[in-house]
Amino acid sequence: MPRHIKIGLVVLAVGFAVSLGFFVDIIGRIRSMVNETETTENPFTPPVTPLYSPTDPPMNVKIFFPTIDGDPLLRAEDQTIFKSAELVNRAKQILQKLQEGSSSQSLGPAFPKDAKVEELFISQKGILFIDFTNTISTNHPGGILNEQATIYSVVNSLTYNLPEIQEVKILVGGTEKETLAGHILLLLPLQMDLSITNVPSPEARGVAQQ
Amino acid sequence: MKRLTLPAALCAALFIFGTLTRAAENGFPIYFESTKLLLKSETVNRTTYLPLQEIIDFLRLPYTDAVNLETFTVRNGNTRLVLTRNSGLISINDQIVLLRSPILRENNRWLVPIDFLTLGLTKLTGTTFRYRPGTMRIFAGNVSPPELVMTAQSLGAITRLTLRVGSPARVSINRDDPKRASILIDRSPLDPLRETVDHSDRLVQSIAYDDSDGESRIVAELTDDVADVRVTPAEGNEVFFVDFTRKAATTTPDPTPEPPPAPKPDVPPSTSPTSRLRVVVLDPGHGGLDTGTKSATLMEKDLTLAIARKLRGALQSRLGVTVLLTRDSDVLMDNEARSAVANNNQANLFISLHIGYSANKMDSGSSVFAMKEDFGGPVSATSSKDRMFLPWYLGYRSSAQASSRIAQLLQDELTKAIPGWKFPLRKAPLGVLTSTSMPSIVIEIGNLNNSVNAQTLEDAGFQTRLAATIVNAVQRFAQ
Repeated sequence: MPRHIKIGLVVLAVGFAVSLGFFVDIIGRIRSMVNETETTENPFTPPVTPLYSPTDPPMNVKIFFPTIDGDPLLRAEDQTIFKSAELVNRAKQILQKLQEGSSSQSLGPAFPKDAKVEELFISQKGILFIDFTNTISTNHPGGILNEQATIYSVVNSLTYNLPEIQEVKILVGGTEKETLAGHILLLLPLQMDLSITNVPSPEARGVAQQ
Repeated sequence: MKRLTLPAALCAALFIFGTLTRAAENGFPIYFESTKLLLKSETVNRTTYLPLQEIIDFLRLPYTDAVNLETFTVRNGNTRLVLTRNSGLISINDQIVLLRSPILRENNRWLVPIDFLTLGLTKLTGTTFRYRPGTMRIFAGNVSPPELVMTAQSLGAITRLTLRVGSPARVSINRDDPKRASILIDRSPLDPLRETVDHSDRLVQSIAYDDSDGESRIVAELTDDVADVRVTPAEGNEVFFVDFTRKAATTTPDPTPEPPPAPKPDVPPSTSPTSRLRVVVLDPGHGGLDTGTKSATLMEKDLTLAIARKLRGALQSRLGVTVLLTRDSDVLMDNEARSAVANNNQANLFISLHIGYSANKMDSGSSVFAMKEDFGGPVSATSSKDRMFLPWYLGYRSSAQASSRIAQLLQDELTKAIPGWKFPLRKAPLGVLTSTSMPSIVIEIGNLNNSVNAQTLEDAGFQTRLAATIVNAVQRFAQ
């Protein structure tokens, strides 16, 4: 083999090896970037204030969960929260119970697992505003009944147990949305609807406050 | 050489005339805090000029018009502004300011470019003159007009112009000319984000804001197809929907050919339109980015459109009614636009089609929905016949009983025709039903989380049977 061809082949081989090295390095960097995860601990997060104090008395509440068979659409489950002085903290405890879900096999989740309550406040007219994260909408599987169950599990659980709350206005991602998944109108605050539950009449209301 | 002389002369003439072009006079308002000055602007060499003397008279400033010196001097206290004919240089207390275009004096009238006001008069008077290039108005002093945002979209048989006025207003329509609609807004001044709306379709040729006479109006140039123009206020009279509706003879929203309807031996075909039904609006749920519920291979938006198209064919052939679809393609629509199609076309019946989803994979969850009766407040508050005007969200109450009746008939027919699937009647505050003012219902069919249901819903034969069943109920409703 002529000498110049040998030299050419050697140069090509060296070039190929160097390129391969770069390629492997770049792939490694991309992988490490993809796998990079941020720590969940944020040193700037304000300390979480407890929703109740140890001296608060227990309070029986009815939490409305969607039924698997859809008949009735919602079924009430007896649970206990603590009667904290702040109404908003009682409402937060009820929403926590809804988020935790029911242990019963015949009851399904009220809303998508990763949906969270961002903020919650009550107006002087007794309208409770709840701001959910966008995931309550984006991760909702859809269907009218399903959407009705999600919304009224929240509305009924709050208005049934906390008579100070007359109506519930649901916000999503900090803003007013027309619907959650295309069906139930959220532009106006919603009132309790027991006709879609196993709880017979609103007369039972108040018993839970004892 | 002679051959070249004539074209060269023509070119020179064109150039000279071109550079001295003058456009027709246009109204040009200057808005002050409590008053306004209406001027006639002139366009010279593509620059907008305003008559100086009218402005100075309005501001009541002393001036000297030195004809021989060809200068004009205006005073305000100790401040003196001097301008010279055919010069872009103005002097304010001997400080020179250069304007983009020269000052003109023609026919004993001084004409000033707009930057004379923004640069010169602002310094002379201490009042700020604000001008946005491309517009035909100036705001002076502390005037902060509400912003006007105009958007237009085609919605099948209607074209909707949405106006967002930054504060409550009243809007009325003037149609002296059938090919033009003047939309009058009782707020003046307004600050339109854009002067024109970049939209034209089969109904609307152009839309432009015009306040040349100091009154706020939007002028829409229309085609011959427009039958009516209506305004619907919303959001505390800050938002207005102006709907241009197509003439009844051409109300079919899409020219795509209709699939031949399947023959239905069980119901005798009707040869004449039923007296109670003239227009039926079908609403295929979801669309565009809003897919609705999904299975591994199917999307709710596609199934509802397929069923709606079949139902349209069946209704037209068997009942001879006009059938409109809120959407006949894969487009995103909000609920308000869907109910507007029904309201604006004076529909006698509105049917919205949806597919269900249940966490229970064995469930064949179907329902017929009507609007929840007490949504928006107690029913008694609006039950009086004397009550003529309802808020938009109570539109459903005008036909609540008829809605319940068609829901009942549909449940009856669907339960008979599709054994094994339950169709309970339900009530919910549904966005698509809240403002419809005719009998309106929503049908939710099947469960896409149930693989057997999903296969059935995709089957063209099932869709045809479903459509025929719905027609049976509609026919009974119309009798």
